[in-house]
Formats: sequence, structure tokens, C-alpha cells
Amino acid sequence: MRTIIFATAIRYLTPLFLLFSVYILFRGHNHPGGGFIGGLIGSIAFVFHALAHGSDRTVNTYFRMRVYSQGKQPEHDTPQYMWDLVRANTWRRSEEVTPSNWRYYIIRVRPAYMMALGLFMAATSGVLGLLQGKPYMSAIWLEGKLPIIGTLGTPTLFDAGVYLLVLGMVLKMVFTMSKE
Amino acid sequence: MPSDLLLVLPLLIPLYGALLCLAFWQREQWMAVMAGLAQMVWLLSTVFLMQRVLAQEVIATQVGNWPAPYGITLAADVFSALMLVAAAVIGLSVYLFSLQGLDVTRRRFGYYPLLLLLQMGVSGVCLTGDLFNLYVWFEVLLICCFALLSLGGSKGQLEGAIKYVTINFLASGLLLSGVGITYSLFGSLNLAELALLVRQPEHPNLPLLSMASVFFLVGFGVKAAIFPLFFWLPASYHTPPIAISSFIAGLITKVGMYTLIRLFTLLFISDLGFVLPLLALLAGFTMLIGVIGAAAQTDFKKILSFHIISQIGYMLMGLAIYTPLAIAGSIFFIIHNIFVKTNLFLISGVVAQRYRTFSLKKLGGVYLLQPVLSVLFLLSALSLAGTPPLSGFWGKLMLARAGLEAGNYTLVGVSLCVSLITLFSMTKIWNEVFWKPRPLAVKKDTIMAPVNPIRLWQLYLPIVLLLAFILFIGLYARPLVRLSERAADGLLHIDTYTNTVLSNNKVK
Repeated sequence: MRTIIFATAIRYLTPLFLLFSVYILFRGHNHPGGGFIGGLIGSIAFVFHALAHGSDRTVNTYFRMRVYSQGKQPEHDTPQYMWDLVRANTWRRSEEVTPSNWRYYIIRVRPAYMMALGLFMAATSGVLGLLQGKPYMSAIWLEGKLPIIGTLGTPTLFDAGVYLLVLGMVLKMVFTMSKE
Repeated sequence: MPSDLLLVLPLLIPLYGALLCLAFWQREQWMAVMAGLAQMVWLLSTVFLMQRVLAQEVIATQVGNWPAPYGITLAADVFSALMLVAAAVIGLSVYLFSLQGLDVTRRRFGYYPLLLLLQMGVSGVCLTGDLFNLYVWFEVLLICCFALLSLGGSKGQLEGAIKYVTINFLASGLLLSGVGITYSLFGSLNLAELALLVRQPEHPNLPLLSMASVFFLVGFGVKAAIFPLFFWLPASYHTPPIAISSFIAGLITKVGMYTLIRLFTLLFISDLGFVLPLLALLAGFTMLIGVIGAAAQTDFKKILSFHIISQIGYMLMGLAIYTPLAIAGSIFFIIHNIFVKTNLFLISGVVAQRYRTFSLKKLGGVYLLQPVLSVLFLLSALSLAGTPPLSGFWGKLMLARAGLEAGNYTLVGVSLCVSLITLFSMTKIWNEVFWKPRPLAVKKDTIMAPVNPIRLWQLYLPIVLLLAFILFIGLYARPLVRLSERAADGLLHIDTYTNTVLSNNKVK
């Protein structure tokens, strides 16, 4: 499926899918939607990207980040150093521009970590009710309403956890299967 | 601690343990540390739960703060707390065994989180107060079992796991149908409310309840490996490594049995005149066929697998007699069997780790090299066979007495004969593995060199721990007998259960 039309379309569709999945996630409280469906839709973005470019490139683009750094030299003043750090890590990411004596660290977001975080959020959203002396998973809502998202509360946290869990699970399956 | 917390902890601790393991993915030692912590805290939480249940008989909470018939009820009585404590003890022992008894690849590849999630499933089944959630927790159990059975992906394991999962999915389908039928008949899934509904003699749908009960009997019958639905068990349980099969073999079929006892004392009581003779028949055949199957085997693990089926027959026998003493005997037998069966599997694992085989023909002379292990095996095996004064004897005594009191002489006769054959079968293992001289045909170099003392000590520790429990409930049986009687009493007099579940349904 590595056609140029598909590959180009994916570049514009990926953020759209992600945005839509987040919309579905927050819509879920009162309308059809929620964490599970949102997570599936969100994973479609990465699945299509992996179809178009291969899963290694998907991992490199979205789930592995290089953080460049250099120990602070005595001749640098602090603002200058911070500015260089920001510049190296934002728009001048390619290795040709970044000075070769800079070290980089690779931050990897493994799907397993996403699953763990999602499970943690979902399980902990229930514990908050316990802390108030109510049964497990009792809903606690914040005061006030946000414009698009709506009211925030522990059920939202639960849904976000499910979102991450589903996303991590699907990505884990896709990456494992595309390796073989 | 509030009961809201106490009831949720046995579910949350394994879950948090599993996700901490996920966070340390592939760093095997950290995963082991996290899993060990979770196991210990889980054991503690179940002990606290037991303590509370002993004081209050039944405790309940409504998850999500929705009132009882609509929300998700968690409830614990003495029976469920007993199951949980037993599960936690063998969970800890199997965990300790796995530190030395399981290969690094499997440990790194998700053994610990899967074991913890399996334990969460067990807690869920034992604590839930809702028929549909019971099904859901059984699915959690099934999926974790499937993943554990196939973990590592050797050929034999996959073959066993496929058999296991195919028939268990069929059983789950039957269960789901049963849940649906029950809901359509009574309009409720809450166990406490259903229990009240089926006790109204004028309820129009009451005659149809037995139809639903058949679905549950067959569904849980498959999961508990009752005759004639047990074929998957010996085909799949002997394939995975001991650290996996000992937990599954020790606990999972008993969880099926737990549910049968729970449902047939709480819900399906309207047609006992038909069900009980059927159960008695099934119990007799289950113990007989299981033990005869075991007699035909020549593999350490397979003999033990067939004995699981035979022992399930005894538990079913208690339910079939259906007197307080009989059900107490069943409960005592379940707890005793969880410990003993796990321990025997662990011992077979220690033997196999040294000699690289489970085949009785190739083994021999273990007594000369490992006398301590032999004594540990002997005590566990005699306990399984029911030699007085070890724990199996008391369970069988209670069951036999209840059977004689109820006039069920055939069943008691069968059970006593099966006891003898069990003893014969254990003697066979003892003769072949421990007593007879090593077969000359086997080459010397297949024996592993004696492992270093620390590793050996780590392998023996869980076995000694479990044997201590077995000896305790054998030599000082009174506390557990009393507990079983209380649990049976709670099962047969459901007022406390229904009142507790349905009365704390006001929203906090």
C-alpha cells in the first residue's frame, strides 16, 4: 500500500483522526462515544501511518523522541544555553544542523507503558471516590463547565484511561504483527 | 477499614500490581519485586477481609454508588473470604516457586502480570454479587488462563491451550445464555434480589427457572471439569511449566465449583428434587472416572491432573447431599484440595527440575538423593488420599457422615472406594518416582548437578509453607471445620446475605 497518494493523504489525515478521537472521547459522557471507541479511532491514525510508511517509521515518528543536550559550557551564559537547547530540540532537529558534539537521549513511548498508564488512570479514578468515604468508583465532578469538553470529573478520567489502554493495546498488536 | 475499601482491595491490589509490572516491562527483576509486593499485600488484604467477615457475617458495597438491584454489588461472606485467603496463600507460594522454578524468558514475558490478573479474576468471581458480572469475571479468568497456558508458545502448550479455550468459550456461551434467560425470566441480575424473587412461590416464571439452571450447570460443569465434560482438563493442564499449571490446577476448577455451590444454594433451589439426584450421579461418575483415568497414566503431572477431576467429584458430592454438614464438608474439601493439589504440582516441579522428566518410567531413586523432598511428597500425597489424621481425611469424614445421615449409601460407598484407588495411585507415584532404583537405561548426565543451596531453599520454601498449612488444617482441623460450618450455614440461610446487600442501597 505504499502509494504516494496514500502516503500524502495520511500526513493530513493523521491529526484529523487524532482530533476526532479526542472529540469522541469527551463526547462520550452524554452521547454515543467514550474511551473505548475513541481509543480505537485514535489507533486508526497510527495504523494507517504504519500501513503507508511501515511500522518502524511510525514508531520513529510518534513514539520515539530524541532529546538533544549538551553539558553547560563555562563560556555560555544561561539564557544563551537555554535558547540553544530549545532550538536544538524543536526546529533544528536533524543531525546536520545540531552540532555533532551534542549528545541525545531517546525517549521511547512503549505501548506497554501506555497500557499501564491507562489502567492506572482508570483504576485510580475509582479510588478517589473511596478517599471521600463513598464506595469505589463513585463519581466526583468538578464545579463549572469547560467550553467544548464539558464538565470534568472522575468518569472523564476513567474514560481517558480506557482511551489510553485501548490505544496502547491496538498499537502493541499492530507493531508486533507488522514485525513478523 | 470501611467495608467499601475491604471489598475492593482484593480486586485493586492485583490490578495495580499488574500495571506496575507493565510499567517495568521486560525488566524481570523489577517485575518480580512488584509482583512479590502485590502478592503479599493481597494476602494481607484477604486476611483483613476474613477478619471482618467473621465479625459481620456478610459485608457488601455498591460500586459506583448506585443502589443495589441496579448498580454493581460486591459482597463477601465466609465462603468467599475462605476462597480468597486460600487463593492468596497459593498465589504467594506459586510466586515464590516461580522465582527459581520458571525460565527467565517466560518471567520476562508477562508471567507476573498475567498471574496477578488471573488472581484479580478469582477475587472478582468470589466477591461479585451480580450474575452478569460473575460471567464477566469468568471471562477475565479464562483469558488470563489462556494466555498463561500458552505463554512461551511451545507446541504442546499451544495444543493444550487451544483445547482449553475452545471448550471453555463454548461453556461461556452457555453461561451467557443462562444469564440472559434468567434476566428475561425475573428482570434482575442482582444475586440477592434474584434470591428473593425465586423464593416467591407465586412468581409466574418460577417453573422456567430449572431451564436456566441447566445452562449454568453445564457451563460451570465444564469449567469445574465435571463428568462428562472434563476431557479438556487432562489434555491441557499438564502442558505448561509447573509454576503456571500448579496455580491453575490448584485453583481454577475449584472456582467453578465455588460458583456451582453458590448458585445452587442461592438461586436454583426450586427444583432440587430433580437436580440433587442428577448431581449425585454426576459426582459419583466424576470421582470414579477421574481416579480410573489417573490409574492408567504413567506421567507424574498427568496422574495429578486426573486426580483433580476425581477430587471435584467429592466437592460435588457435598452439594448433592445438600445438608449443612455436607456443604461444610464440600467447603472444607475445596480449601484442603487447593493447598494439597498445588503442593503436589510444585513437588513434581522440583523433581522435574532435577531430572528433566515427568515420566514415571524414567524417574526413580529420588528418595536416596532428596529424602526431605520425598517426605514432603509423602505427607501431601497421604493428605490427598485422605489418610487420618491428615487434612483430606476430615473432609471425607464430613462428607461420608453427611451421606450416611442422608441415606445416600451408594454415593458414600463409591467415594470410599475411590479413596482407596487414590491411595493406590499415590503409592504408585511414590514407588515409581521415589522408591524404586534409578532405571539403568537413563544416562547419568541427564541428572542436573545439585543446585546451590540458596536456589534449592527457594524452591523448597513454598512447598514447606503449603505443607505447614496442610498439616495445620489436618492436625488441628477444628478451626477450619468450624469456619466451613459457618460458611455452609451462611449459604443455606440467605437472610443475612440478602438483607446486607439490599439494605445498604441508600446512596451515600
